[in-house]
Amino acid sequence: MSLAKWTVGLMAGMSMLAFAAPADAGEVRVTVAEYSAKTGPYFQDVKKEFEAANPGITVKFEVVPWEVLLQKLTTDITAGTNADLSIIGTRWLIDFVQQDVAEPLDGYITPDFKDRFIDTFLSPSIMEGKTYGLPIAASARAMYYNKELFEKAGIAKPPATWTELQEDARKIKALGSGTFGFGLQGKEIETDVYYYYAMWSQGTEILNKDGTSGLGTQGALDAAKLYKSMIDEGLTEPGVTSNNREDVQNLFKQGKVGMMITAPFLSNQIKEEAPNLKYGVAAIPAGPTGARGTYGVTDSIIMFKNSKNKDEAWKLLDFLFTKEQRAKFTQGEGFLPVNKEEAKMDYYVNNADLAAFTALLPDARFAPVIPGWEEIAQITSDAMQKIYLGSAEPEAALKEAAEKANGVLKK
Amino acid sequence: MQNRFLPYLLTLPSLFLAAVVIFWPVWDLIQISTHDVSRFGQLRDFSGLTNFSALFADPDFMAALWRTGLWTVLVVGGALLLSIPVAMILNTDFYGRGLARVIIMLPWAVSLTMTAVVWRWALNGESGMLNSALMGLGLISQNIQWLASAETAFPMQVLIGILVTVPFTTTIFLGGLSSIPDDLYEAAALEGATPLQLFREITFPLLKPFINIAIVLNTIYVFNSFPIIWVMTQGGPANSTDILVTHLYKLAFRIGKLGEASAVSLVMFAILLVFTMIYVRLAMREQRT
Repeated sequence: MSLAKWTVGLMAGMSMLAFAAPADAGEVRVTVAEYSAKTGPYFQDVKKEFEAANPGITVKFEVVPWEVLLQKLTTDITAGTNADLSIIGTRWLIDFVQQDVAEPLDGYITPDFKDRFIDTFLSPSIMEGKTYGLPIAASARAMYYNKELFEKAGIAKPPATWTELQEDARKIKALGSGTFGFGLQGKEIETDVYYYYAMWSQGTEILNKDGTSGLGTQGALDAAKLYKSMIDEGLTEPGVTSNNREDVQNLFKQGKVGMMITAPFLSNQIKEEAPNLKYGVAAIPAGPTGARGTYGVTDSIIMFKNSKNKDEAWKLLDFLFTKEQRAKFTQGEGFLPVNKEEAKMDYYVNNADLAAFTALLPDARFAPVIPGWEEIAQITSDAMQKIYLGSAEPEAALKEAAEKANGVLKK
Repeated sequence: MQNRFLPYLLTLPSLFLAAVVIFWPVWDLIQISTHDVSRFGQLRDFSGLTNFSALFADPDFMAALWRTGLWTVLVVGGALLLSIPVAMILNTDFYGRGLARVIIMLPWAVSLTMTAVVWRWALNGESGMLNSALMGLGLISQNIQWLASAETAFPMQVLIGILVTVPFTTTIFLGGLSSIPDDLYEAAALEGATPLQLFREITFPLLKPFINIAIVLNTIYVFNSFPIIWVMTQGGPANSTDILVTHLYKLAFRIGKLGEASAVSLVMFAILLVFTMIYVRLAMREQRT
């Protein structure tokens, strides 16, 4: 009988069948996420430089697309064939710690080493007083706006509040010719985050003080209604639920969208793909009480507990977190500096775009450190899509989502 | 003595292979689905059928289950309906037949994921090819947001599913058609049979075994087909285009519920197994009579 391809089972089965790579003494295997086309070449250079400086240690980088990273790690860990080090989303770290697969690094970290980091970015990787990961990539979100469209529409400066943003979006819409005021993301990864920008400005947090989901609050409802009213009024691009982050960024690069919220790497992309686009970077708009929030993200590099070459692996980490290596990586990928000395380099100090991002860091929220976070993010994204589509009323969708999220939180 | 065991002995190698590739993973799945399991697959307490009951209590799973049925019936049915005439045309002798065959087979040569990626671009609301083509033809005056809601996304996915299933199905039918001897048609034509009669009385009955094969194989492929839906909508918006495989992938690798995901995959396995057994039996009975 010709048979089915079962995703989970077959993969788990096959990876167990696959020959486990023999752990050579002195070989450090590292799983890294492919952030852009520059990631692979960067780590190839690291391999060359590090191996030349450390004879006897060989490094093997496995570059994995970001979308399949968690899947690869899950199957590798299940089969016991995981690498020595891996990049992970810091929001997954709690699972790795609770399942006891991540090695605490405190035994290796000297005060000097710790002092290299900017605290805001190191702290999400610290759990129960132990440092389980080092921030290899850090990012935040800010608002990009198209200066040319703003000028044409007679808008002097980027909006400071959501009310101003709505007015500006109306003016940009009035320009006609296929321009949209506000780029709203409604598909795939970070659909929930795009909603939090509005929610945070209402003073609502992802988790209430008592640990329940914030989705059931008035602030969450106001934020959802704000976005929904903008969709209904035609202030966003049409077909919100068919546009993921890249789609909205493409519209921005084409000069079709007046404003959008995204990460620093858009600046790098614009430089390469749309060098003539006149844009600015500003703070995320504030709510009625002046509250505002941006999303802070770090990815951590962790060491696995079952690694047989921990000392060698640490040497590599030490090398990766030197100022020179950090600068090369961060600037290539368009991330924010995590290294204090690096942050003082001219590249960052004289960069207006990046300054707008770093100015927002005091308002940065990181994904809450709770098990089941991915599920809550999924629940929130689903609820938002229903609201954007109009297939559910905001009140009903949020109430349902809050109940589901609370169910996950209770576990 | 020797004669009795020889057949078993001869099938042993393939049986062994099947055991490694099929039975072992299924056994593993049963283990995972009946235990409380960590997100990295470590088994904890035995939990009986809680993972299964959690599934059937989940409206998203039930919706995905029905949608999978619809998806399979529409894609397999559509591909069959389209492939029979295509195969019959390609079976006749005409100038440029070789080229026509290549064109029909071409989608098969492209990986499913790539096809889906290209369609995702083509269906983009603002810069997609399809909208600009329809606009250019004057058929629409406003861009259609194809992938924004299930009402337009799912039919498009079904159409693409049909498109990529046609080449394989056509190949099966071409093989079937070439096995029908020409004298049958000649004799019938001499008796004054109309083309419709030729099809109903000769082509279709003799093609039936091949249609059965096409139905069984396509059902298995389409039921499990992941790339088209995943690449285009990831089962969204709000799970409204999810089929069982995409639902399973999200459960396992996004949310980390390996237990429930294994249960989904066992349910899928069971459905396909039952379908195939019933269908093969029915088809065989028909052939004997």
